[in-house]
Amino acid sequence: MTAAEHRPATGTAVRRKEDARLLTGRGRYVSDLVLPRMRHVAFVRSPIAHARLTEVDASGALEVDGVHAVFTGEHPALAAVALRAQSALPGYVETDQPPLARGKVRFAGEAVAAVVADDRYLAEDGAEAVVVDYDPLEPTVCAWTDPADVTDPVHDEAPDNLLLSRTFRAGDVEAALAAADVVVDRELTTNRHGGNPIECRAGVARYEAADRRLTFWSGTQVPHLVRTQLAELLDLPVGNIRVIAPDVGGGFGVKAVLYPEDVALCLIAIATPGVPLKWVEDRVEHLLAATHARDHRYVLRAGFAADGALLAVRADVWCNTGAYSVYPWTAGIEPLMAGGLLTGPYKLEHYECTVRGVATNTSPSGPYRGVARPSTVFAMEALLDSGARALDMDPIALRRRNLILPADIPYRMPSRLVDDSGAYEACLDRAVEVFDVDRWRAEQARRRDAGEKPVGIGVGIYNELTGLGRAASAGPRMPFRTGHDACTVRVNPDGAVTVFSGVTSQGQGLETTMAQVVADALGVDYDAVDVRIGDTDESLWGFGAFSSRQAVIGGGASHLAGAHVRDKVLELAGALREVDVADLDLRAGQVHVRGQEKPIISLSEVARVAYLQSDRLPEGFEPGLEGTKFYDPIRGAFAAGAQLAAIEFDPATGAVRILDWVCVEDAGTIVHPVIVDGQIAGSIAQGIGGAMYEHLVYDEAGNLSTGTLLDYLMPTSGEIPELRIDHVSVPAANPTGVRGVGEGGTLAPNAVVAGALVDALGVEVDDLPVTPSCVWELLHGGGDR
Amino acid sequence: MKCPPFEYHRATSVDDAVAALVAADDEGKILAGGQSLVPVLALRLARPAALVDVNRVPGLDELAVRDGVLRAGALVRHAALAGQTLHPLAAAAARYIGHAAIRSRGTVAGSLAHADPAAELPAVLRACDGAVHVAGPDGSRRVSADTLFRGALQTDLGDHEVITAVELPRPDAWGFAEFARRHGDFAVVSVAAARFGDRVRVVVGGVAGVPHLVTADAVDPGDVEGVAAAVADDVDPASDLHGSAAYRRALTRELTRRALGDLTGAASPAPVPEPA
Repeated sequence: MTAAEHRPATGTAVRRKEDARLLTGRGRYVSDLVLPRMRHVAFVRSPIAHARLTEVDASGALEVDGVHAVFTGEHPALAAVALRAQSALPGYVETDQPPLARGKVRFAGEAVAAVVADDRYLAEDGAEAVVVDYDPLEPTVCAWTDPADVTDPVHDEAPDNLLLSRTFRAGDVEAALAAADVVVDRELTTNRHGGNPIECRAGVARYEAADRRLTFWSGTQVPHLVRTQLAELLDLPVGNIRVIAPDVGGGFGVKAVLYPEDVALCLIAIATPGVPLKWVEDRVEHLLAATHARDHRYVLRAGFAADGALLAVRADVWCNTGAYSVYPWTAGIEPLMAGGLLTGPYKLEHYECTVRGVATNTSPSGPYRGVARPSTVFAMEALLDSGARALDMDPIALRRRNLILPADIPYRMPSRLVDDSGAYEACLDRAVEVFDVDRWRAEQARRRDAGEKPVGIGVGIYNELTGLGRAASAGPRMPFRTGHDACTVRVNPDGAVTVFSGVTSQGQGLETTMAQVVADALGVDYDAVDVRIGDTDESLWGFGAFSSRQAVIGGGASHLAGAHVRDKVLELAGALREVDVADLDLRAGQVHVRGQEKPIISLSEVARVAYLQSDRLPEGFEPGLEGTKFYDPIRGAFAAGAQLAAIEFDPATGAVRILDWVCVEDAGTIVHPVIVDGQIAGSIAQGIGGAMYEHLVYDEAGNLSTGTLLDYLMPTSGEIPELRIDHVSVPAANPTGVRGVGEGGTLAPNAVVAGALVDALGVEVDDLPVTPSCVWELLHGGGDR
Repeated sequence: MKCPPFEYHRATSVDDAVAALVAADDEGKILAGGQSLVPVLALRLARPAALVDVNRVPGLDELAVRDGVLRAGALVRHAALAGQTLHPLAAAAARYIGHAAIRSRGTVAGSLAHADPAAELPAVLRACDGAVHVAGPDGSRRVSADTLFRGALQTDLGDHEVITAVELPRPDAWGFAEFARRHGDFAVVSVAAARFGDRVRVVVGGVAGVPHLVTADAVDPGDVEGVAAAVADDVDPASDLHGSAAYRRALTRELTRRALGDLTGAASPAPVPEPA
């Protein structure tokens, strides 16, 4: 290829760096790791939601052949350690989470003891033989239980179970509601569900006593955070801990948490130096004890003017935070996101929203793709659908009347977040065009006349705050601020490029994306770039994968580091060839004088000089050819999206059948078109799972009724329709122009499915998920016919 | 989710399997396709002392029609039943079972022995008034569908007995309808309907501990609504996570309507002629 033909990697569906490994069954997951002298851990988990622990008798377990040890929360190796999610928010109640239960258990599934054995079968045999005495306490399961009814609080520090409460206020809601032409009220609940990555949690911990070094292989999304937190919890220097996240089979936020099991595994490894310990979570454990999400209640009132203008919203929100304030994100993660982004892409002056994080005797809630907003978009769009019905307006027209437009940017939302997008109407316009609303309206009328199964059109429009910088704190004032990532770009002595990026990947192709960005910033071919991620001994710093941040922030750092090394290459090349550096350009690994076809020197020759031929190094140049840069976008990049679907409902069976689904997102500059569309498709699929299938149900005693995938229904490819994805690309103000795209798709499906139901059948759904029996009960009143 | 310890015996013949069951006292369990048993073992909900693997027993994979009856050996897999044309009702129902991997491993006899009340094949066996052949220490016997199913996951089979073959009479007309939450799930409600001469057997799965049978005189298209209502009145379903009793009753009525619509209508495929 000549230099003139060299095309940027960005915008091209290059072959993914990960494909050879992941598509041929040669991925390297924590579960695949086998180390000499390795033993396996199984946890004894509480079968009771809330109880005092009176005795843990391990004697029977220790008699099982192959069982080496049993650890409890009171064991000296663990007794002094607690995970304590910290926040400076006023009124936030800090509580401790022990690595293994101490004194009492707070949810069914909480780890009470750990059994170490030669293999996992024997460890489970041992776990069965541990006898635990529980003295039951009254459990609280529902977060909107009257606090007066709480007799046995989850944590003594919070007698009413309230860990956090905050009120967002803007304007004068009372006056605006009084002046409204139409006022609508909704009371909604959203269904608890979780991320359920195909690979559950997994860890291998190895401690070498001689040099006090701990290595923790973990399927984590946040290896650098884990290293920092482990150093504090285990009282080890940060530099003595190495966290390695190899290939990881999905995360979705569930693995952005440092879990008590992780800490227990490391503490036990320290207590048994030289013996690597492996714990691979199974699906039953995952459903029981990995973080859940979205168990919320919304009591809402909205006022509209006769022309459809949204005048005021008042909201009372309860989020079930489960038994512990999730570490390190705190019980604030869902309620604060709910209050901060409830109003979404709509202009609103008068807003009052009180959010609460309430502890219950259920598995802790944590980050899950979209954090709270699948629920808040459902709540907001339900208000708009109710408003449209009350005003007899077209639901899409009502939305248009209220969208934040380009002229309004930057728009200060009533929660004081600053929106820099304004592409909502463009996304909606494109979605309406691709979906062809008129065609579906005609089909709707035809079916009505013909007496065929009704079809409804659902709408969901959303904003997605991505790539949060230091100033865009949607987080709950934690002791760390997650604005930046680092990237090191190293040109090797042969001219090939190794990138040490702080990003992590759980299947979303970050090696590829980072390689594309570096290839373009540096001026080399995509194939010349190799990317290393997930190892704290290799990359300098990265907060990891959450809040759709890595393409924006990790990508920004990669771009800056690549450009920085490019400058170094050109300076050295200019000095070697005695050409003014301002005239030089690096393309496809060759240094050119601008405008000239023939290169003056290759990158590999420059690199050879830099490392191996110090005799040729010009005066003032140090050996080596690498550079490290941090990037922080300071604010964030709002991404816009709109989804429309046509959904058929069978009044006889309640069956819900998706006939068409269109999504248009503004992902800014698109680095890899297939990866971006894959992110959107996957997130819509998870959104549909939450809207129609996935529901973690507890009974009144706090037992999980949906403990296997037989009862916890995840959508399969058979349930997800062909998705039609299109784009509006407004580059963001950051080095690569990208907007985060990892979560947006999950935000609309709740609203779309519920909106289609009311559009098709005229019945409003208040409680998700929209299941066939729910549709049937709504239509037939729940009575026996 | 790892199995508790068990002894493993690979049976070489039906007699050998029976002897192994006897040797295990009442702690033995037959392993065929493993699609129900293995998850139950992994969850430690069952802990048999011995697994008797019949997969290598010769002569249990027959699948043929004789005298108007489809005979399926104990090792016939769901995929084979779904793929045959000799008994279209059984083929149609088998296609609703799980996914391809499950149908490739799971056996017809295993599904009947497991006796999940929401599974497809117990309903089909009862709709066709079929039977299973069983070998035990005292010889073999034939157990009709009406006596095989005793309750949810409970059958008439003794601890030392093993199913060797399944008999499914071929109906003159048939219909099958099922409602499940997802592709491949156990039915919320399923209905198998089969007509033999002037008698129609309607069997509803998912509404009781055993497949629920209602018989009727020959139905014309005009009788469908009435019979569907009568069947819905006759079932007494419970409520669970996937639907209330009232919803299951409504599903029973709708699915009976659909199954009988197929049975009485032109849509019911004529049986393939018996091979010479």
